[in-house]
Amino acid sequence: MKTVAVVDYGMGNLRSVTQAVMHVASGSGVEVVWARRPEEVLAADRVVLPGQGAMRDCMRELHASGMHAAVLHAAAHKPLMGVCVGMQMLLDRSEEGPTESLGLIPGEVVRFQLAGRHQADGSRCKVPQIGWNQVRQSRPHPVWAGVEDGSWFYFVHSYYARTSDARHSVGEADYGGGFTAAVARDNIFATQFHPEKSAQAGLALYRNFLLWNP
Amino acid sequence: MLLIPAIDLKDGQCVRLKQGDMDQSTVFSEDPAAMAKSWLDKGARRLHLVDLNGAFAGKPQNFAAIKTILKAVGDDIPVQLGGGIRDLDTIEKYIDGGLRYVIIGTAAVKNPGFLKDACTAFGGHIIVGLDAKDGKVATDGWSKLTGHEVVDLAKKFEDWGVESIIYTDIGRDGMLSGINVEATVKLAQALTIPVIASGGLAGMADIEALCAVQDEGIEGVICGRAIYSGDLDFAQGQARADELAG
Repeated sequence: MKTVAVVDYGMGNLRSVTQAVMHVASGSGVEVVWARRPEEVLAADRVVLPGQGAMRDCMRELHASGMHAAVLHAAAHKPLMGVCVGMQMLLDRSEEGPTESLGLIPGEVVRFQLAGRHQADGSRCKVPQIGWNQVRQSRPHPVWAGVEDGSWFYFVHSYYARTSDARHSVGEADYGGGFTAAVARDNIFATQFHPEKSAQAGLALYRNFLLWNP
Repeated sequence: MLLIPAIDLKDGQCVRLKQGDMDQSTVFSEDPAAMAKSWLDKGARRLHLVDLNGAFAGKPQNFAAIKTILKAVGDDIPVQLGGGIRDLDTIEKYIDGGLRYVIIGTAAVKNPGFLKDACTAFGGHIIVGLDAKDGKVATDGWSKLTGHEVVDLAKKFEDWGVESIIYTDIGRDGMLSGINVEATVKLAQALTIPVIASGGLAGMADIEALCAVQDEGIEGVICGRAIYSGDLDFAQGQARADELAG
């Protein structure tokens, strides 16, 4: 049986992510593994990497849990989906401070600079962005399949990815200016927003990820 | 996580009720617009209005006060309103008046068809407020307990385009006894839309406890009595929540 591992490296609560992946996996023949040991990640056919809070803490816990090598192995060999800080860690570096990252997608993670900026509806932009926002599919990708361009997704974040290569930015949104909301490269797809909190559109992304064979 | 100040309106004034009892109210201000503006000035990013008379009467009763609040707040931050919203014309009137989110409570439970129509007609503007005790949904200003499980009902609503669920633990609201974090997270984990916590926020400890689980989908928390009594400094609370958001 095919398996998808949700990586638990001690950073926060993964139940929502696991629940959403299980929901879309049900009946698909894919088994969902809430992976607490590196072997479970190594053995899985595809991997979901969540993350919350500060990137520095996430990187530290990724090492402490012994998951670091297993995640890098996944990035080199199988479909990998990053979510929120799980996406941010994929870039080369972060403005959050001098911390190592996974360095799988060229670019940096930068903080919103929004003083005096307003959203399209007139409300003031504040950091963090908390709430629903529309995502433009700036580049086609199999994980967008069947998801309407401009669908709404749920965000909670102060930082976002700025890819060095525009081709790696596959989803964009506006919050006091345009920013990258989804990145992709080879066998990696990752979102700044939370698909597991984005109702049907979000579930569709997880469903597509389970079917994706890069 | 957003800290959302609550302004409860009764007879055009800002009040707080104890345990949802209309006869046990304290008047905090006779000027709702000034109250709204003061939360805006303290850094609120959303306001939560409750038309208490409306909730009891089943139709809007504080329209004038609500209009002055919307005017005072302008486009700066979104405002959500609940209490007695039970038909599409009322929703349209409020949204045309500048309200961002309409909260449907009792009507969502008793008349799911209405909720579905509202989501279709006003997608992105509808929040469902579920009040519950021991996991069971209550209606009609908390006076009736139904047999519905909160989780089952909320799961039914999430696919219709509801923006979020406001979950109120009615054993606790207005009693400063602390948010029922466990029940709130359990609901959030079961859903694919965000949850706003409500009912009994007591102070900074609740903010920190909720922030620790916010990535399970806790979008915000309604702040009632605690920010009026001074048990929680609103600006400090929001600053702490922002710090913990990463």
